Amino acid sequence: MSERYAARKVAKSQSPAKQGRPGATRTRLARWSKYVLLSAAVLAAVTPVYWMVTISLKSEVDQFASPPRWFAFTPTLAHYYDAFFTRSFAKYLTTSLTVAGLSTICAVTLGTLAAYGLARFKLRGKLDQRLSLWILSTRMFPPIVTAVPLFLMMRDLRLLNTITSLVIVYTALNLPFVVWMMRGFFRELPRELEEAAMVDGDSRLGALVRVILPLVTPGLAATAVFCLIVSWNEFLLALVLTQTDASMTLPVGIAGRVTQYEIKWGVMSAAGVVAMIPILAFAMAVQRYLVRGLSL
Amino acid sequence: MMRSLGKNRSHAATVRGRETALPYLLIAPTVAVLVALSIYPLIYAVRISLQTGSGEAARWSLANFTRLASDKFFIEALAHTFIYAVVALTFEFLLGLGLAVLLDRPLRGRSLFRSALLIPMMLPPVVVGVVWRLMLNPDFGAINGTLKGAGVNTESLTWTASPVLALASVIAVDIWQWTPFMFLVLLAGLQAIPQEPYEAAIVDGSTAWQTFRYVTLPLLKPAILIALLLRTMDLLRVFDQIFILTEGGPGFSTETVSLYIYRTAFRFSDFGYAAAMSFVLLLLTNIVSVGYIRLLQKQEAA
Repeated sequence: MSERYAARKVAKSQSPAKQGRPGATRTRLARWSKYVLLSAAVLAAVTPVYWMVTISLKSEVDQFASPPRWFAFTPTLAHYYDAFFTRSFAKYLTTSLTVAGLSTICAVTLGTLAAYGLARFKLRGKLDQRLSLWILSTRMFPPIVTAVPLFLMMRDLRLLNTITSLVIVYTALNLPFVVWMMRGFFRELPRELEEAAMVDGDSRLGALVRVILPLVTPGLAATAVFCLIVSWNEFLLALVLTQTDASMTLPVGIAGRVTQYEIKWGVMSAAGVVAMIPILAFAMAVQRYLVRGLSL
Repeated sequence: MMRSLGKNRSHAATVRGRETALPYLLIAPTVAVLVALSIYPLIYAVRISLQTGSGEAARWSLANFTRLASDKFFIEALAHTFIYAVVALTFEFLLGLGLAVLLDRPLRGRSLFRSALLIPMMLPPVVVGVVWRLMLNPDFGAINGTLKGAGVNTESLTWTASPVLALASVIAVDIWQWTPFMFLVLLAGLQAIPQEPYEAAIVDGSTAWQTFRYVTLPLLKPAILIALLLRTMDLLRVFDQIFILTEGGPGFSTETVSLYIYRTAFRFSDFGYAAAMSFVLLLLTNIVSVGYIRLLQKQEAA
């Protein structure tokens, strides 16, 4: 990558337009306008989020002040205390953590095994390829299409308003993604690795666990983090399947407060900040895999 | 020596024997879960969409589908979805491309800029809803507060509460949240373009614009198509942010197809009709994705 830039730089300095004083001024101007544009974009991206953080830390007087107080206010943690100790947000948070954790474990376990099977074996009639495409295609359904029948199925099974229903549904939601990510990682490894281990007396599964899995650990971790993000952020299915305080996730809890008649802005913002923090941390952790993960 | 070889061979044979079953055993649980939670629900939806009445009184009929054509709310929801998708896609693409070009060349603070620009895309959709309700609130929101400070009369600027501005407001929020996605995918595409064509363009004495138009854009086309495909699919099914920001209101002014299906199923308990509408949405997204994939294949063949 850096070689390419070096080459480009050389090419640039050789181009006739960039020689002489007026050209140099123009380049400097171009660089400065680049910084100005990028800073404006970053400001636009970050300011609204910063505003929510300030609202979560402001007393009501400061919240409703006009003109808006961007920096000059006395911070208070009262809304966080209110949300997580006097209201049910601690419960929603626990539910979100449980659902995201359990569904990620299920999806990663099942999906990794299937991905290994699809990456390493040629099945009769190109079944391996056809199955891979079919698995991917189940990811293309708009969620509202399955939300209606899933609600009715869960009602029939008496699983509405349970954490179980969400774990099951999110496992299925993440499975195609896990299969395709892990299939890609497995295919990058040479077959000789397992074959060598198997000649040494390992079984196929033994070779998978002892030789292959350690090599795909970074990819596996990134895949798991993506599943956590999806499960943590998911809203529509959670809204449809859970409506009680004991079973709703953080997004549904927050949405319930937002659409109420009288809105507690501070409490809502505090909950929003708490819902946002783990996601930003996770996202930074998987930056390297973002493009691969998001374009699947 | 011979004995150990023989032992090895028989071991290999048993391994191979077991392996005819092994891949199926590995794949079966995943297939079972997906059949139960993706395919069975679809069949279930087909069934209820073809029935009217419920329980004992249920009857097979096409009524749910014939009703679609004369439902002016559904047509209007389709129109909103279409406007929403086209406008948001256009802005997200142009802004994302611009940002990607700005960050393609090495620059001090580049990775910091990149990370900061990606923040909106990472937020839970519900949090995006909260953030923008706070920004757009007509009375104490940061936008109207700032405008008031600048001497602008904000009385008519009620954003999501105004029938005129509500759709534009939710579209603007979508652009805010998802431009980073376009930026990310297009930046990755730009970085994958080899150096040689650029050098050739410089030797030919092309201007920066000519290089961009005749070298960068054609080479970037596959990444552009993939980014547009993924965004279009998401835009056609948009639900979360609009639900939080306006719940489809005021009146019907921001109701998209997904919101209308949700309302039909979970407010009016008309599950059959909701299922019928969801098939129209499914068909629509399929047509669009097949179109893009054709373009992609043509691109690869060329």
